[in-house]
Amino acid sequence: MGGVGLRHAARSAVQASRSQVKNYCGATMNDQPFEQRLEILADSAKYDVSCSSSGSNRRGTPGGVGSTAAAGICHTWTADGRCISLLKILLTNACIFDCAYCVNRRSNDIPRAAFTPDEVVRLTMDFYRRNYIEGLFLSTGVTRSVDYTMEQLIAVVRKLREGERFNGYVHLKIVPGADPLLVAEAGRYADRVSINIELPTRRSLALLAPDKPREAVIAPMRQVSGLISSAHAERTRSRKAPQFAPAGQSTQLIVGATPESDLEIITLSEGLYRRLDMKRVYYSAFVPGSDDRRLPTLPAPPLLREHRLYQADWLLRFYGFAAHELFDEVRTNLDMRLDPKSDWAVRHLHLFPVEANNADYEVLLRVPGIGVRSARRILVARRHARLGEAELKRLGVVLKRARYFLTAGGRYLGGIRLDGAGLVARLLAPERRPARLDQLELFPVQTDASALTGEL
Amino acid sequence: MRYSYDGSFEGFLCALAVCLESGQRDGEFLRPGADGQGGLFAGAALDVVTERETALRFRERFVSEVSREAFATLRYAFHSEVAGVEELLWRYVVVGLEQGRRMRYMLARDPVSSVCRLSRKVVHEAHRFTGFVRFREVSWPAGEELDGEQGQATDRPAVSLLYARIEPDADILTFIAPHFRERLNDRPWMIHDLRRSSLVLCDQGSWRLVRGVALACPPGLTADEELCSRLWRSYFQRMAIPERHNPRLQQNLVPLRFRAHLVEFDGSV
Repeated sequence: MGGVGLRHAARSAVQASRSQVKNYCGATMNDQPFEQRLEILADSAKYDVSCSSSGSNRRGTPGGVGSTAAAGICHTWTADGRCISLLKILLTNACIFDCAYCVNRRSNDIPRAAFTPDEVVRLTMDFYRRNYIEGLFLSTGVTRSVDYTMEQLIAVVRKLREGERFNGYVHLKIVPGADPLLVAEAGRYADRVSINIELPTRRSLALLAPDKPREAVIAPMRQVSGLISSAHAERTRSRKAPQFAPAGQSTQLIVGATPESDLEIITLSEGLYRRLDMKRVYYSAFVPGSDDRRLPTLPAPPLLREHRLYQADWLLRFYGFAAHELFDEVRTNLDMRLDPKSDWAVRHLHLFPVEANNADYEVLLRVPGIGVRSARRILVARRHARLGEAELKRLGVVLKRARYFLTAGGRYLGGIRLDGAGLVARLLAPERRPARLDQLELFPVQTDASALTGEL
Repeated sequence: MRYSYDGSFEGFLCALAVCLESGQRDGEFLRPGADGQGGLFAGAALDVVTERETALRFRERFVSEVSREAFATLRYAFHSEVAGVEELLWRYVVVGLEQGRRMRYMLARDPVSSVCRLSRKVVHEAHRFTGFVRFREVSWPAGEELDGEQGQATDRPAVSLLYARIEPDADILTFIAPHFRERLNDRPWMIHDLRRSSLVLCDQGSWRLVRGVALACPPGLTADEELCSRLWRSYFQRMAIPERHNPRLQQNLVPLRFRAHLVEFDGSV
């Protein structure tokens, strides 16, 4: 790869001399104390939502440090309830691009800073040894040129893997438009790579991110997808074949900055999962703050909408739903009151109730309130005994919503049969708890969710 | 019949084996310190000697007649240490040896469902602690040995090692030790379960469990450690997005009882 590096270094040098932001790069930004730079670069990195450390299973090596767990491990949660699993940091927050939605855009007046590759390596190792983190999630603003920036990122990971013999998780950002050879090199060191689409449609991208043509985003995604599948095929022939991003690739979409409907977003995600074999699509509620006139003014980030999109995303990946099933001709957005599965079930009441003792796995999965674990347990347990309400409860199946869509041993569990509207009212009725306890809760929390998603 | 054993998992397996051999359907198992609930007419407890061979033979039998998964479930559930778990597991073993491989389908029936629930709880807690353990670099005072053997050389320099404190509900040390041995095998570390006064010590790629540990005073932090934990705290503070502030969600995910030993929540050694 040395030849490639040289070629790019030469090309980068030419581009650097043309660059307008020369004063952001290099020594000036490194003059600030380390602690201050860490704060600046953490601040600039936190809007990237990807957090998972799953999908890769690598054992530790003698003399090396680190390993990865297939299910991923969360290490802590911040005051906004988001998990910290990886050290999410930028190499620099200086950027030659001016994407309207991005906190690091060129025209934004914020303090700028940069780390050297050695500093990032040292910090990663120090945090990792104390078990603060599962590994590193490295991203960066674009300085000088796209290829130069990509080379800087790769330099950090190479140091970690080869210098420190680090076996922990590494998630590396691919800079849109980077040379294919550099993309190929990145995937050899990283567990996961990602390229953020950010905006669902071409016209939104052209409006808000004029420096980022859609082709520059999609082309490397296609390339990564191809490299992953060919590396996978190689490894089925030989265990010694080199891995390429064993934890796959992910991407991120900003929700609420542009007028796209949920239907457009979920259809796009479906395409990414099916055609590019994407591991995850993350949705990020747009946090307003910029006074750019191209952006909408929202009173608060659309958190509930983000939550519903994640629920719909789960239905695509683990529950056998297709995007178009979640919407109909008149409604192109998800219902904010009900989760998308309940919403689908209420619109298809003629398919319910189903019998817990003989419904197929795929059918059970479509019952609101029954998840992958519950469905699997039902399948196992009914081989031994007929399941009634008590047995379902003992299996840990939560019947709060499921009871309206199930019979067990022929008996309907939901009491009086209700029509669609009555059922919606019943599903939305608050639990019998003191009202004050319920008021603050934005959405119910499933403590186990992180472990579950990793396992799947 | 009542059996008293040494409180370890191996000891419990031996007690199960003895109880099986006696041919009785009922057994009561006492760990050290546990008050016999037998009341006035309960007979004297039989002391079961812990022998590795007996325990291994029992495991062999259970795995071949039931399954490896069922044995793992038994092991996890035992470490939950909830009151009465021994009697529950005894019933589990009896059903298992009666039903053999079919037991895996009996998820909806007791005792299988209860044992599985306990086991899941312990698995979950062990998984949680693979994330929640926080190592601190400490300088271990020279001459203070864990085994009780006194260090001879008093002028020996302090050793720096990674030291973590935890207070889990279940006895999960032996479940998380292999995970950390795999990860951090280039320097010595220990994880100290304050609630059970037990400790896992790992050096040069192998770990062992030491029970009944009491430290005279907490070991001192190194200068590097002070700096590193300060960096981590400020990083942690910065990662939260103010517009998404949601402390309730945070508390669901990091319950208060875990925070005493988490560096980012200002836990101190």
